[in-house]
Amino acid sequence: MRLHLKIWRQAGPDAAGRLVDYVADRISPDMSFLEMLDVVNEALIRNGEDAIAFDSDCREGICGMCSLVVNGVPHGPDRGTTVCQLHMRRFKDGDTITVEPWRAKAFPVMKDLVVDRSAFDRIIAAGGYISVNVGGAPDGNAIPVPKEIADVAMDSAACIGCGACVAACKNASAHLFMSAKISQLALLPQGRAERYRRVLSMIDQADAEGFGSCSNEGECEAVCPKEIPISNIARMTREYVKALWAAGR
Amino acid sequence: MSSRTGVFSSSVGTKIVIGLTGMALVLYLVVHIAGNALVFFGPTVFNQYSHLLLSNPLVPLIEIGLVIIFALHLYKTVRMFIANQQARPVAYVRKKYAGAPSRKTVASSTMIVSGLWLLMFVVIHVTQFKYGAEYEVDGVRDLYRLEMENFANPLLVGFYVVSMLVVGSHLWHGIASAFQSIGADHPRWTPRLLAASKILAVAIAAGFVVIAVWAYVHQAGRVRP
Ligand code: FES
Repeated sequence: MRLHLKIWRQAGPDAAGRLVDYVADRISPDMSFLEMLDVVNEALIRNGEDAIAFDSDCREGICGMCSLVVNGVPHGPDRGTTVCQLHMRRFKDGDTITVEPWRAKAFPVMKDLVVDRSAFDRIIAAGGYISVNVGGAPDGNAIPVPKEIADVAMDSAACIGCGACVAACKNASAHLFMSAKISQLALLPQGRAERYRRVLSMIDQADAEGFGSCSNEGECEAVCPKEIPISNIARMTREYVKALWAAGR
Repeated sequence: MSSRTGVFSSSVGTKIVIGLTGMALVLYLVVHIAGNALVFFGPTVFNQYSHLLLSNPLVPLIEIGLVIIFALHLYKTVRMFIANQQARPVAYVRKKYAGAPSRKTVASSTMIVSGLWLLMFVVIHVTQFKYGAEYEVDGVRDLYRLEMENFANPLLVGFYVVSMLVVGSHLWHGIASAFQSIGADHPRWTPRLLAASKILAVAIAAGFVVIAVWAYVHQAGRVRP
């Protein structure tokens, strides 16, 4: 396959960026999108040029490092798929493909397609954990959790923190990410103890990081590689109201 | 966030305020359209109904409440819009709708535009009706005559029809969105709510359009503006 690429190049956080045209030649349809970029980079390195910087780690859809907006959609055209799991057979020979980084004030571009997502880490550090000592692994069924609740909690826990929700949202909102983390913990007994403190401080932190609010469009759900639904966002709102109630505000 | 008012300034608290005030405004529209529909029963019934409202001492209080709710909805949405714009200072060169299950529509993407249009509309509308010509008939205000005179003007009817399409668009996204904003979500009921809110949006818009056009057709020949 031969593809025309338009790739965002930006030398550093404060440099101006622009789309640069590249041609990717002799691409196998069985390659992943990132392998295709590897091929482009090998050619660049051979020519003594600066390779295109992009994030990746596991390349099997579980770590959440890869983060490319492909043709205007975070993680590209396939639903429930990270861009490392997107394959070139999804494209046609001769296609033009635009590749951009996540764009949000809270996710500043470091270089080319790499953004700094430590804002997510700070949101988690604000409350996305349990600090009670849970001891060793409990016996199975020692803490009864109804199956339906466990299922919803597990679905929320599938979030890999890639930030595609922020990238897709017209408001660059982190609500889907936060709500997945909050749901996962609020639904299970171990997370209950700190649920109110958690929701208040995580929302505070997200607002301080400069993420936007939520317009209930659900673009986030549509691009989420783990297909996490916006019903989590509604649950986060309920947690917020309960927390305010409990705090007597 | 630590203060009492601060809880409504957070990104989640803002949504709750916008959702609740939006719901109240929709409720008001439903009552409004039901009252307007009495115009089909002729001047006597319509004027009696409006007199009932005008002579009720509670109505001014409700009006003040409405103004506050409207202002709050406007203030919170405009502030949120500005903050949301700032959350993405560098725009995408290329951005596409992500497709289902996204609820994004033209209506949801233009809420600020439709909302500001409605602000302008409400100002004009209230000036024309509430503060319009004071006709009297049988000791009560003749709002029927005022309505017929206003809607004898085809330009004005056109402006109202367009504005009601804008209302429909705003509610197409707004009604269901308000429920999601206050955290009301249910696996079985949300899909039905999404459908029902679109039906209600169309019904409200169509209802007002029908009344305005009916008044024009009904009276344009008889009353000269
Ligand atoms: S590289 Fe790990 S999810 Fe894509």
